[in-house]
Amino acid sequence: MSALSHSLYVDSYREPATNEPAWLSRLRRQALARFEASGFPSPRDEEWRYTHVAPIERKLFTAATGSADTDAAEALIESCRIADAWSLVFVDGMFVPELSERHGLPAGVTLESLASLLALSEADGNAAWLESGLERETESDRHGFLDFNTAFFTDGAVLRLEEGVALEKPVQLFFVSTRNDGRATLRNLIRIGRNAEARVVETHVGPPETGYLGTVVNQIEVADNGGLNHYKLQLDGGRAYHFGGSYARVARDGRFGHHLLSLGGLLVRNEVHARLGHAAQTEMNGVFLSENRQHVDNHIRVDHDEPHGSSRVSYRGILEDRSRGVFQGRIVVHADAQKTDAEMNNRNLLLSDDAEIDTKPQLEIHADDVKCAHGVTIGQLDPDSVFYLESRGIDAATAREMLTFAFAAEIVERFGPLRERLRGLLLARFPNAQ
Amino acid sequence: MSATAETLDRLIKQDYKPGFVTELETDTLPPGLNEDVIRAISKKKNEPEFMLEWRLSAYRHWLTMMEPHWAFVEYAPVDYQAISYYSAPKTTDHPKSLDEVDPKLLETYNKLGIPLYEQEKLAGVAVDAVFDSVSVATTFKDKLAQAGVIFCSMSEAIEKHPDLVRQYLGSVVPAGDNFFAALNSAVFSDGSFVYIPKGVRCPMELSTYFRINAAKTGQFERTLIVADEGSYVSYLEGCTAPMRDENQLHAAVVELVALEGAQIKYSTVQNWYPGDEEGRGGIYNFVTKRGDCRGARSKISWTQVETGSAITWKYPSCILRGDDSVGEFYSVAVTNHRQQADTGTKMIHIGKNTKSTIISKGISAGRAQNSYRGLVKILKSAENARNYTQCDSLLIGDRCGAHTFPYIEVKQPSAQVEHEATTSKISEDQLFFCQQRGLSAEDAVSMIVNGFCKQVFKELPMEFAVEAQALLGISLEGSVG
Amino acid sequence: MNTLLRIENLHARVDGKAILKGIDLTVKPGEVHAIMGPNGSGKSTLSNVLAGRSGYEVTEGTVTYRGQNLLDQPPEQRAREGVFLAFQYPVEIPGVSNIYLLKAAYNAIRRHRGLNEVDALDFLKLVKEKTRMVDLDEQFLYRGVNEGFSGGEKKRNEILQMAILEPTLCILDETDSGLDIDALKVVANGVNALRSPERAFILVTHYQRLLDYIKPDHVHVLAHGRIVRSGDASLAHELERKGYGWIEAAAAGA
Repeated sequence: MSALSHSLYVDSYREPATNEPAWLSRLRRQALARFEASGFPSPRDEEWRYTHVAPIERKLFTAATGSADTDAAEALIESCRIADAWSLVFVDGMFVPELSERHGLPAGVTLESLASLLALSEADGNAAWLESGLERETESDRHGFLDFNTAFFTDGAVLRLEEGVALEKPVQLFFVSTRNDGRATLRNLIRIGRNAEARVVETHVGPPETGYLGTVVNQIEVADNGGLNHYKLQLDGGRAYHFGGSYARVARDGRFGHHLLSLGGLLVRNEVHARLGHAAQTEMNGVFLSENRQHVDNHIRVDHDEPHGSSRVSYRGILEDRSRGVFQGRIVVHADAQKTDAEMNNRNLLLSDDAEIDTKPQLEIHADDVKCAHGVTIGQLDPDSVFYLESRGIDAATAREMLTFAFAAEIVERFGPLRERLRGLLLARFPNAQ
Repeated sequence: MSATAETLDRLIKQDYKPGFVTELETDTLPPGLNEDVIRAISKKKNEPEFMLEWRLSAYRHWLTMMEPHWAFVEYAPVDYQAISYYSAPKTTDHPKSLDEVDPKLLETYNKLGIPLYEQEKLAGVAVDAVFDSVSVATTFKDKLAQAGVIFCSMSEAIEKHPDLVRQYLGSVVPAGDNFFAALNSAVFSDGSFVYIPKGVRCPMELSTYFRINAAKTGQFERTLIVADEGSYVSYLEGCTAPMRDENQLHAAVVELVALEGAQIKYSTVQNWYPGDEEGRGGIYNFVTKRGDCRGARSKISWTQVETGSAITWKYPSCILRGDDSVGEFYSVAVTNHRQQADTGTKMIHIGKNTKSTIISKGISAGRAQNSYRGLVKILKSAENARNYTQCDSLLIGDRCGAHTFPYIEVKQPSAQVEHEATTSKISEDQLFFCQQRGLSAEDAVSMIVNGFCKQVFKELPMEFAVEAQALLGISLEGSVG
Repeated sequence: MNTLLRIENLHARVDGKAILKGIDLTVKPGEVHAIMGPNGSGKSTLSNVLAGRSGYEVTEGTVTYRGQNLLDQPPEQRAREGVFLAFQYPVEIPGVSNIYLLKAAYNAIRRHRGLNEVDALDFLKLVKEKTRMVDLDEQFLYRGVNEGFSGGEKKRNEILQMAILEPTLCILDETDSGLDIDALKVVANGVNALRSPERAFILVTHYQRLLDYIKPDHVHVLAHGRIVRSGDASLAHELERKGYGWIEAAAAGA
């Protein structure tokens, strides 16, 4: 079945614009060949055991042609814009400079559309690092979506910080979809120089009744002692398909924070991978909330390659109605990574008789002097707490909402500097919890 | 190498004492597998037609299956045509008493520390001794028969109790369940059969001692335990094999059925030959063990101490079908040198108010890889199901691996599932602290390892706790049991 | 015979870095010596070297304990010969009960001294008595060694072990750090109860407060790996008034 239907996508492949460098055309053709051979991942693949992407294969989501519908996009953007931030806006896979905000960027910062950099790359000397950045293997768990993304990406954001640059304001990247049966395929490159620091807010948004496919791959490099706090706001409409993967490499003493609010979409896969160098740290915090028939799969992998690294993964899921949540986390401590300190925790609330959660927190440990732990809980709201609130005069529905919000908000509290603003986004889903 | 690793190395590098071979005349089928071989096995056992048909259909199904490779183990491919599927000592045709058993066989069990004669005299444990493909002796049959308990070899059960066998064989692990279970269903040669009638508390511990002796053979035993309503049985299993450079395949199937209010306690001390320090030889232990809590308020408890085998692929499981049924899994898995173990359990909650507990302790040394893989599945019907899982890993040395792969699938909102896992090493700090209190490094390591395993050892019956202690090469503190 | 411990010109390194740079100290039976000094002066290194922890390299000097070379003995032999270290950070050993560790250690020491192992009932009686002395609930005996104990409970547990193993030389490595005043008194009472003409104590401490409850015979100030001042109990009070600054300055200038 899949062999036939993914060939629809293969057939739709067109040689990209002539101004793309030859090395990129080669990468695309190689990726397309792999995609043609294996298609999208299937549940037979252990890493995709709980997520069936057949509906994507049955349809042919098409890439936009012509210009983007910026009017429809603007309202969506304003609904989730972070105040006082630089931004790049992509609508249906195309860069929209007039909605983007780049005034006052300090020296040593590149914030640009990937397509325009590629067009200029031979001339302005960016070719080498763009090529190495894009060519870099997304080492672990290569699968059909990555090859699909490489073959078909139309554009994406590039953020590059030179050594020692600390951005005061966050950078918000908007990925807006407006077209029914449309697809947006984007590739972002983020490179944080030595001792540099940035906050990036990746935002996915679309209309509630529109079915579309967004696939976004982030390739992230953090140099020695650099820091990146990467926020992902997955606020897609209820009929959207979303695959988002972030693949970070963190060098010595570097810090990579990944903070996820996954609230929208019909079928969603959030992947985040981090490879950690000497004494590098990562903290990954996620809240996923699903209702109706949503399916949200959170896939995490941390590779400790060298000693003294630390990782803290805390995800919480709230499942309502007939929705299904998945948490698959894997921490791999390689043989040289002595003194690693790793912790992974996943807690889930099942709020309906028809909701389901599948969770697989895994430790793979090849070094001996390590401290690793993981924990999972699945349960309901504590009836004693609900009763306590009721006995203080709060109605049952509000009491449940307050407690559910509190469960999620504990993770948002760890979101660092943007937590106040992101708390508001979460609260919008719990109007009675205030 | 650190002082800790050296100490533990010394402790673990003891000889594999059951590694001897018994010289015997045997009746062995030539290597290879086809329908004629299966017919020959069935004929040797005088089986009724239904058994042959069952075996053949399993074989035909097996031919369509692929060997599974998702486990965290690596090994050279198994040549299923190079294995002999039947080997039996020539002299074992249904001995009526121990006096008729070949003295060489009795001597073998004596050397293994299972003196069948003495066991018969001491009113402690009834033993079924399985040697390569056949059961050679079962003790205490008469005494058990008085209580209505059937304890005999599987061959004898097929002959004498065909209705029971027909009713329950394959009812927990269907013939086509997985690659190794299908192979076992096609070629199994013997094993133990236990039936405990309604309301009977089995008057003694039952035990089967499995021994692989012949070269180039596989052992494919099949064990079936049925505990009728309100009954109780505790069953123990031990396993050893000679030291050889080649790998030998052991693909067993164990089925447990607990009817309403029944309890089965199944304990294993697995000490198949693990191969040498460089990973040459050793048993491939690919085993399917599953218990079905078919009736309300039934309980199945698995306890295992796994120290042997080159490769272990084993997930003793409980299907918690009856309301209020209980499943338990207690495991200590030790891997050293080049051993690889991928072991754990599955707890499938179907009935209401079902409970399961999983306590897994993995110890990894040398260049070994030790994985816990466990599934907790709460189906929609399993209201108020509870699971608690704890899996801890202890690492010794810096070239081994310890991995934890839990799968948790919950479709019922009133379920409560908790999973905790830790991985640590024996720290220099702990060792120094003990030495500063006057203990030698050896004693300190023993004490720490024993403390680590204690939750599981206390689930073992007394006799096996002693054996487990000897196997780990550690001195257990006073009060095990 | 009148010397229990003689340290002469002791130099030691940790990770290649010289920490002790020539310590001289003589301890006689029955004496209590307090060793004080700022953080990083080498106090804990001295304790660990005496107890034989690995990773501490003695580069020069000698330590003689009861006429024997202490430094060439493995840690468990030192313990059996009566050297007891109360740890600054007592170690947790999950699954190994406190009472089991105590009994194993007690019998190891008795065997070493050519005595019979004690029977379980007699031992339990002894332990219960000592447990009351350090104000620990009996349930702590059956819990894993230090597993889930509070900071104060861990330190009292150290004193309990000391009381049962009846060492000849007790080294307390910052046992008073992190204790509230009540726990401090319990520790001090335990030490005072164990004082005897045969037994000596080395109290390594960062705070003077402990010495309000245990009166030392000698006080030594350690700075930069050397003992820079020695005196009687009044030296501790002088330090309390003046702090370590003047000593450090003097040591650095020396």
